[in-house]
Amino acid sequence: MPHILVVEDDPGVRSALLRALDERGYAASWAADGMSGLDAAMRDRPDLLVVDLGLPDVDGQEMLRMLRAVSATPVIVATAREDESEIVRALDAGADDYLVKPFGADQLDARIRAVLRRSAATGRPAPSLTVGDLVVDAGARTARLAGRALDLTPREFDLLRYLTERSGQVVTKRELLAEVWRQPYGGADKTVDVHLSWLRRKLGETAQRPRYLHTVRSVGVRLDAPERP
Amino acid sequence: MTGVRAQLNALVAATTSLVLLAFLVPLGLLLRRAAEERAVSEASSRAQSVAALVALGQSPPPADDGPLVTVFYADGRVSGAPAARTDSVTLAASGRAFTARSGGGIEVLVPVLGLAGGPTVVRAYAPEPLLHRGVTRTWVVLGLLALVLFGLGVLFADRFGRRLVGSVTALAATADKLAAGDLDARATDVAGAELRRVGGALNRLAGRIQHLISDAREEAADLAHRLRTPVSALRLDIDSVADPQDRARLAADVDALSRLVDEVIRTARRPVREGAGVEADLGRVAAERLAFWSALADDSDRAVEQVLPPDPVPVRASPEDVSVALDALLENVFSHTPDGVAMRVEVAPSDGGGGSVTVEDAGPGLPVRAARRGVSGGGSTGLGLDIARRTAEAAGGSMRTATSRLGGALVQLRFGPPE
Repeated sequence: MPHILVVEDDPGVRSALLRALDERGYAASWAADGMSGLDAAMRDRPDLLVVDLGLPDVDGQEMLRMLRAVSATPVIVATAREDESEIVRALDAGADDYLVKPFGADQLDARIRAVLRRSAATGRPAPSLTVGDLVVDAGARTARLAGRALDLTPREFDLLRYLTERSGQVVTKRELLAEVWRQPYGGADKTVDVHLSWLRRKLGETAQRPRYLHTVRSVGVRLDAPERP
Repeated sequence: MTGVRAQLNALVAATTSLVLLAFLVPLGLLLRRAAEERAVSEASSRAQSVAALVALGQSPPPADDGPLVTVFYADGRVSGAPAARTDSVTLAASGRAFTARSGGGIEVLVPVLGLAGGPTVVRAYAPEPLLHRGVTRTWVVLGLLALVLFGLGVLFADRFGRRLVGSVTALAATADKLAAGDLDARATDVAGAELRRVGGALNRLAGRIQHLISDAREEAADLAHRLRTPVSALRLDIDSVADPQDRARLAADVDALSRLVDEVIRTARRPVREGAGVEADLGRVAAERLAFWSALADDSDRAVEQVLPPDPVPVRASPEDVSVALDALLENVFSHTPDGVAMRVEVAPSDGGGGSVTVEDAGPGLPVRAARRGVSGGGSTGLGLDIARRTAEAAGGSMRTATSRLGGALVQLRFGPPE
């Protein structure tokens, strides 16, 4: 049972986090400020920390730097600020992943599992994913189709990688928005649709004549290898 | 040359001219008069000395470059400079010495009485050139001196004006930079005590604006933290709800709330992000957004007619805000009309500056309540049109909804010109 240390000053969020982690089978402990969190991280040696960046005593970025000076424990930061610069600073300061508030317990669980998985696999190169003629190299952040390199934006690559990792499964737009965009789903949000259309265009297919990306009406999208003629 | 500088130069030129005229004209006349008096005095002296010689029975000295001396003897002889025996000579022969104007010059007549043959008259004549000898040269010197003084006056005025105008221009440039959003701009090297005070006040104002924006930025960041933290607790708690249907319903509600909070935060941050000046090219932003949506339009078999002007259409909004507003309108079309429905996007400049973007479609039309703030419809949060409307209003414009010629909805956003 992985031990998660939650460093969060807001009692409401903290108790909700602890309850959610407990329900998903984690051993969870907490600290209400940065210095107590550092002390607990040194003392209890948790498997992962979930750190709120808006702590009352010390800036979350500063706490990360102090932690990284003495420990390699994986850290997921939770921030209410979605500014890219804020997130980049947190990742540069030593965070392994981030969540923008508000986030759901399932998303938190998925990120904890992913970070722990990456942490356990540290040192091993990320494997290439192959679906039909499509090869996605997560480490090099490149994708090739029948040997031809695809010119993808960072978001398109993340979307393709996420779908490739789940090839054969139907992935909902809500899930894509939460996992790839890290945004709540708004019902009529067409962001995912536009990016899927761009991905289709770059994969040389259309919604009417799909090869890899198949729309499952009212459910989501599935990436699959095309059937050989 | 700037207006103020030119006016200052003209003022100094006029003043200097008047002063020089008031001084030089009387001086010139005085010098002319003095030259005349000097010539008359010389002629008189010459006539007196020749008269003395004639009285002693001697001949007059030969002519030089001075007054022309003529001796009229009683027996009718005339010696010296040729001259006619005029009435003045006859009058002088009666024993009166006098001075009279004659032929543009002045003659001095001196009788020599007591001679054996009768009275002899000595006439010394100062012709006009002799009368005003040296005056023209003096006047030329005075004229040159006046020109030099005039030139120096205008030159000093111009240099002073340039310094004065340069300071005012520097102050205006600093104010323009501040208005354009460069809050680090400061007025430096300002000449003149009053202008230095204005520069100091402008610098203090810029510092104050910077301080206020910094405060607002912190407030906005804090607002995000304060609003999103309780929503986070709610979102996490919902995942603990046992019933899947209730959980999904509550999660959807919180997602909608979360988007509303995002919009509130975004709106609160707008002045912080934009600072003091903001501008976007409406046509360019529209072209970029249409390119972005083109893939989905192709996938959903939509014909998209674009009417974009070749020239920039500057409007008073950030490119980011215009993008968000336009995305909201385009997303509405994709969300609320079936695949295959045609759409049209037109950008046009407005009379008097600014511009408008019109998005229309051939779909079923806009629900009556849709344009009202925060009204939900068609599975959306209802924020799209509200965002677009508030963006247009914040840019000094407005939003208009109508029925399109294509048969569906027409939404037009008008933006004011950049400040």
